Amino acid sequence: MQKILRKRIFRDLKENAFRYLALGLLIILGMYIVIGLVGAADTIIKGTAETAETSKVEDGQFGVFVPLTEKEKASLEKDGVILEEHFYLDYIISDEISSIQKDGYGPADGVVLRIFSQREKIDLVQVDCGRIPKKTGEIFLEKRYCKEHTISVGNVVSVGNFDFTVVGVGTVPDYESPLRNFSDSAVDSYQFGIGFVTEEEYKQMKNGGGSISSEEYSYAYLLNDKMSDKRLKEKLQDLEIAADDIDDAFFREYWKRTGGKSEEFKDSFDELTDGTGELWDGLAKLDENSNTLAKLEAFAGGVKEYTDGVSEAAKSAGELHDGVLKLREETEEFLDENFDCTLSKMTRFVSAADNPRIGSAADDKLVDKAAGLVAGVMVLILFAYVISVFTVHSIEKESGVIGTLYAMGVKKNELLRHYLTLPVVITLIAGVIGTALGYSSLGVNVQMSQPYGYFSIPKIDVIYEPYLLLYGLVMPPLAAVFINYLVIRKKLDRPALALIRGEQKSANVQNVRIKGGFVRVFRIRQLLREKRTAITVFFGMFISLLIVMLSLNCYVICSHIKTENVKDTKFEYMYTYKYPEENVPEGGEEAYGVTMKKEVLGYHFGVTLLGIHKDNAYFDAEVEKGKNNVFVSSAMAQKYGIRTGDIVTLFDEENDKNYAFMVDGIVTYSAGFFVFMDIDSMRELMGESDDYYNIVFADHALGIDSGRLYSTLSKGEVEKSASVFVTLMKDMVTMLLVISVLMFMVVMYLMMKMMIDRSAMSISLFKVFGYQKREIGKLYLNGNFFVIVFGALVGIPLSKVVMDGLFPYMVSNVACGINLTFSWQMYAGLFFSVLALYFIINRLLMHRVNKILPGEVLKNRE
Amino acid sequence: MYLEVNKLKKSYGEGESFMEVLKGVDLSVEKGVMCVIQGTSGSGKSTLLNCIGGLDETNSGSISVDGMEICGLSPDKLSDYRRANLGFIFQFYNLVPNLTVKENIQVCEYLTDRPLNLEELLDTLGLAKHQDKFPSQLSGGQQQRCAIARALIKNPKLLLCDEPTGALDSHTSQDILMLLEEINRKYGTTMLIVTHNNSIKNMVDQVIYLKDGQVRKNYRNAEKVPAAQLEDL
Repeated sequence: MQKILRKRIFRDLKENAFRYLALGLLIILGMYIVIGLVGAADTIIKGTAETAETSKVEDGQFGVFVPLTEKEKASLEKDGVILEEHFYLDYIISDEISSIQKDGYGPADGVVLRIFSQREKIDLVQVDCGRIPKKTGEIFLEKRYCKEHTISVGNVVSVGNFDFTVVGVGTVPDYESPLRNFSDSAVDSYQFGIGFVTEEEYKQMKNGGGSISSEEYSYAYLLNDKMSDKRLKEKLQDLEIAADDIDDAFFREYWKRTGGKSEEFKDSFDELTDGTGELWDGLAKLDENSNTLAKLEAFAGGVKEYTDGVSEAAKSAGELHDGVLKLREETEEFLDENFDCTLSKMTRFVSAADNPRIGSAADDKLVDKAAGLVAGVMVLILFAYVISVFTVHSIEKESGVIGTLYAMGVKKNELLRHYLTLPVVITLIAGVIGTALGYSSLGVNVQMSQPYGYFSIPKIDVIYEPYLLLYGLVMPPLAAVFINYLVIRKKLDRPALALIRGEQKSANVQNVRIKGGFVRVFRIRQLLREKRTAITVFFGMFISLLIVMLSLNCYVICSHIKTENVKDTKFEYMYTYKYPEENVPEGGEEAYGVTMKKEVLGYHFGVTLLGIHKDNAYFDAEVEKGKNNVFVSSAMAQKYGIRTGDIVTLFDEENDKNYAFMVDGIVTYSAGFFVFMDIDSMRELMGESDDYYNIVFADHALGIDSGRLYSTLSKGEVEKSASVFVTLMKDMVTMLLVISVLMFMVVMYLMMKMMIDRSAMSISLFKVFGYQKREIGKLYLNGNFFVIVFGALVGIPLSKVVMDGLFPYMVSNVACGINLTFSWQMYAGLFFSVLALYFIINRLLMHRVNKILPGEVLKNRE
Repeated sequence: MYLEVNKLKKSYGEGESFMEVLKGVDLSVEKGVMCVIQGTSGSGKSTLLNCIGGLDETNSGSISVDGMEICGLSPDKLSDYRRANLGFIFQFYNLVPNLTVKENIQVCEYLTDRPLNLEELLDTLGLAKHQDKFPSQLSGGQQQRCAIARALIKNPKLLLCDEPTGALDSHTSQDILMLLEEINRKYGTTMLIVTHNNSIKNMVDQVIYLKDGQVRKNYRNAEKVPAAQLEDL
């Protein structure tokens, strides 16, 4: 029987070609996008992981004041750690500045190229084209920089006082996000790139001058599972250095004022001890000479008094000297116990997990992967359900046949299998085509163009993950079987006689008593009769709205970042000091910042604990004295779900300590995760001096020497990094909007058309009675207006709530505040867009109503 | 007896809407007999047929077909019973609209291990030249022939016909009856035909007349009139 019934599947397909084509195309489109998106994500995630392995990506890196000695290196390597010097020099290539910087923002250093010596053990280069340098005069450049500057193999570039021929272009895993500084929030490959030359050439460049700063002593390490990052860091911290061995003038000046003070203190005590010793010696000598003086009898009385006095003074001087010696001893003990005045060689320590330049492409794609898979399932469930509605329509239409077949002894499961075949065939074919397209050059490759245009990653061959192939090929028919089975089984589970008689299970609907005029009653009855269709339209609208919300949430989060980050950033410059000056520069506002960590949804983000004055000009935080009271930036509050009155805990990795604070309020500041507290309380909490600071905010450039600074953050850079998000998300937002609109229109059209088809007989009858087209439209179509209005009024806020609940998980790896607030205009726009789409569909369907002839009621009686 | 019905009762509804349709029906039909059940509207003809066909549940009494008691069987067992023994013909043909005549018949061919020869059946029913047409391309009579062929293909022991000519004109009705007569003769199929067409009673072996849910007449035709000679159909 199945063999015979199968023949009608192709006839069904042919008869309802438009319906199934539209549904099939949307499933194809859905699967194409999902497979493309997730396939690209998998390719990037797995591809970069494989590249990292072949490139021997570092486990971390650290910087030192002066290069490690052979003995120090040997000591570390003895513990199984592999070290490699990744020293570098920065050169200005041209004075050109990017468009953002042209607007007057940011440090306009010009184009900077960072030069390394070739690597052999860690973070090896991946050649995209050409080769690595073999002799002097050759250079290998990072690919994104080459792309931005249209440099290719064979070109000549000038770096400092040297000219090089580009012999190769490619990538390195430790600059996957080619950020100049760790604190940079966005990649600008026009402004910054890296290059590699031979070891010999590097030495010549170092000696030849021309770099904008002194050589940076950076080491990459591999732990080989022999040691932990923490242990290595402790070992490095134990490597001491004498202040005199450090050349940096800024450091020396700073050291003199801070750690050097204790040395001065000790020197002064030495002087004091020496002085008291001398005093004692002098008085003792004077005491000896007093015996000669005692022989002058004429002055016996006076002399005696004098000599007794000298003896006493000498004795007291001895006691004073002893006392000073004891004081020096105890003071030294106190200083050693309470002040760490030793100097560590290490300047910075960054493990690979904390390095924003490593693994960022894969992190970025994790969001796409999660969103893609979830959206795919939603789309499949929707279309499987839509198909089931059509199947139910067919079953109702063919109930007489089904009943007759039952009467002949045909079993329910045999017919169930038959009715499941068409949905399975459609979804399977659509799934296969969608998956093939997704994995074609039009799918994964298109999706990969965005990360290729931002991150510096090697060319990766598309990776075909079995689970995704299974998802693309099996999920569509599986969803169809599951949904259709649930829906159809119930429909077929009826007595043969009821089916033969065409009895509808609508007694509860028919029993509803409705008051009002004929048109009102008819419309309500029509709606109740077609409640399954109405529910499907609502369901379709809801799923479409979920996708709209996903797209609009992406848009608003980026848009808020773009506008609010700039609006909330009241400073023009934020200088973070390496070596703070004795006095806060004129025009600057002092602050004290410490970076700590806080976990959310499995990700640990850096949070700046910032000590500020209550009356500071840049943050609206009314900080009060108190070591436990803080204000939290709005970005952090959104990301971590923090409210006033909560206790917030931060982890200080440096000292392996947890801090807990009471949140006194939320400060409107969206540009970063900040916890604000009173600067004096923070100094006291952290054991710093009363005038300590390491950050200065200013409303104009302060001309601070860059050698003193870790980083400079300008308002322009804040804006630039905010704009990057908008640019990155633009295509995805547009694509999701188009898909959701298409989906909603197709579902609404097909469902409403089916409603008309089902009512064709009665519409024909109404025409026979003499009803006008407009009146028929009013009876059969316009009732849907209320379904749409109701659906939009419920669906818009509901989908927004659902998506807002899901969204934090989708962007769990992104370090930004989550402000998903829509303006009322956006809600109104959405509502009226839904209505506009309804009116377009309504208009199209009126053509179908007009096509139903009065004679149809007579013609199709059987 | 091939078919035996004893004290069969069937009612619908409760309270005010309670209606007893069959009030203790007793009848028996021999194998290979062509039997007509007659009666006015609401007399319980179709209900009786449905109960015998296992399509409707009974309240009490018994129905035995070829020695098998069918009252109280589970839906699955009833389905097996219908599959093994019955063929159905309804007033409305209930053909699968997008299957051809031949395919519509083939749908039921697989239900038995011993189907009739399809080509022969098509010939017998005069459908050979229409076998590749779709139901919408056929006249009412041709569609009913197709429905009969579908019911017969699995060679049922008992053919239940509910108003098989109800939707047809007199000439076509006569054709259909002649066909049923021929099938009965050729295949020895026992037939129960529900109709309120009075003329048919002359062409069958046994006539059962129902009134108010009870058998009022049950007699055998001493002299059958061939369907071809029936008048006033």
